Amino acid sequence: MTLSELLYALLGTALSLMVFSYLLGDNLFFGIAMYILVGMTAGYAAAVLITKVILPMLINPLAELPATSALLGLVPLLLSILLIWMFFKKSARISGIALGFLGGVLAAFAVVGVTRGTLTPQLLSIVDAFDPALMTQAGYPNWMNIFSAFLMLFGVLAVLFVFHHREKFQTLSSGSQTWLDGLTGAGQVFIGITFGALFVGLFSSGLTALIFSVSQIIDFIKLWL
Amino acid sequence: MRQRLALITAALSGSVVLLLLFFQPVAGAYLALVLNWAIIVASVALLVAIASLLVTHIRFIAVGRRGFIYSFVLITAFLATFLPGLFKGVEDPGYLGWISAIQKPLELSLLGLIALVMMSAAVKLFRVRGWSVLTVSFAISALLFLFLNLGLSDWSGNQIFSTLIDAFLRLPVIGARGLLIGVALGALLVGFRVLIGQESDNE
Repeated sequence: MTLSELLYALLGTALSLMVFSYLLGDNLFFGIAMYILVGMTAGYAAAVLITKVILPMLINPLAELPATSALLGLVPLLLSILLIWMFFKKSARISGIALGFLGGVLAAFAVVGVTRGTLTPQLLSIVDAFDPALMTQAGYPNWMNIFSAFLMLFGVLAVLFVFHHREKFQTLSSGSQTWLDGLTGAGQVFIGITFGALFVGLFSSGLTALIFSVSQIIDFIKLWL
Repeated sequence: MRQRLALITAALSGSVVLLLLFFQPVAGAYLALVLNWAIIVASVALLVAIASLLVTHIRFIAVGRRGFIYSFVLITAFLATFLPGLFKGVEDPGYLGWISAIQKPLELSLLGLIALVMMSAAVKLFRVRGWSVLTVSFAISALLFLFLNLGLSDWSGNQIFSTLIDAFLRLPVIGARGLLIGVALGALLVGFRVLIGQESDNE
């Protein structure tokens, strides 16, 4: 083990112990570990943004002025100056243009991305479950697939109804309707099952990380024994 | 006025991008240009946010606010990462080794801590929300998935059990699909509200 590897191992063990000290309550060591993480993440992000985006995409093209590509680069430069201006004068009205541009572009990409990437594939997968080829097997109805397709449709509608019914209940506080309550209850069952599965997935990952961290600490201690 | 300017710019830029996206085969070059602008502006926005964080903590140190030691740690960690990254380059192996030597153990131990915190959070869920359809189905699902993930039992020999387990394993997909569609519809609504200038509270 080289000196730098030893130093990194010592640093890693110390930081892991500082994080696990949270089990004794929120304390100085845990706070320091968290602020180190925030500081390093901010520093790394700033370094990456400057060296990979700002310098090659904003500053360097300006050297080619008055070429068209460099002139086009003045637009993001102007918007960036407006954003930086907002940092010094928070009430600057004109800075809203830069934020508005960013919000508008993000909204447009969100609309298209959500439609193409999430909504359409999810809706198509529900429709595909009702494919006549899947509904029959050797000329006879395939009851298992038929049941699965209808369960899928019912489940998705019930989950969507949980949102709708909840909103209605909060705004109108309308009287209880048995069938609506039943559908909402079924939706809650599906949501509960999904959250349960997600919980187990996250918990398993966390447990694996915990075992790995503890074993690293033990390995480091063994080095000195 | 500032809000109106932002709304008009958002509606205009959003509509232009939407048009460029629809006519992508013809307007691909223009779309790439606008996307580049958005990447630059978003990066500058992030840098402004980081600068704001640093200024706040420098102010805490300057006035000697309670707990300013944390601010000192943050600034030191920032400089120890930012300056070498700027001068040595963010792809330098030594620099990357330094970053991962600190971030990996921190993130791994935090993830491990989350496992322990999640256990107590799951118990608290019952204390706070009581016994309801949601909490009971959550508990049963979590216990069953935990048991199945352990892999202690082999049901492949039993046709009925393996069919039942297969069916149970497919159930979370139904809920996830419903949740995804719900979230997607919500995002779509917010996106359209921004594009038509109705989203006035998002500045």
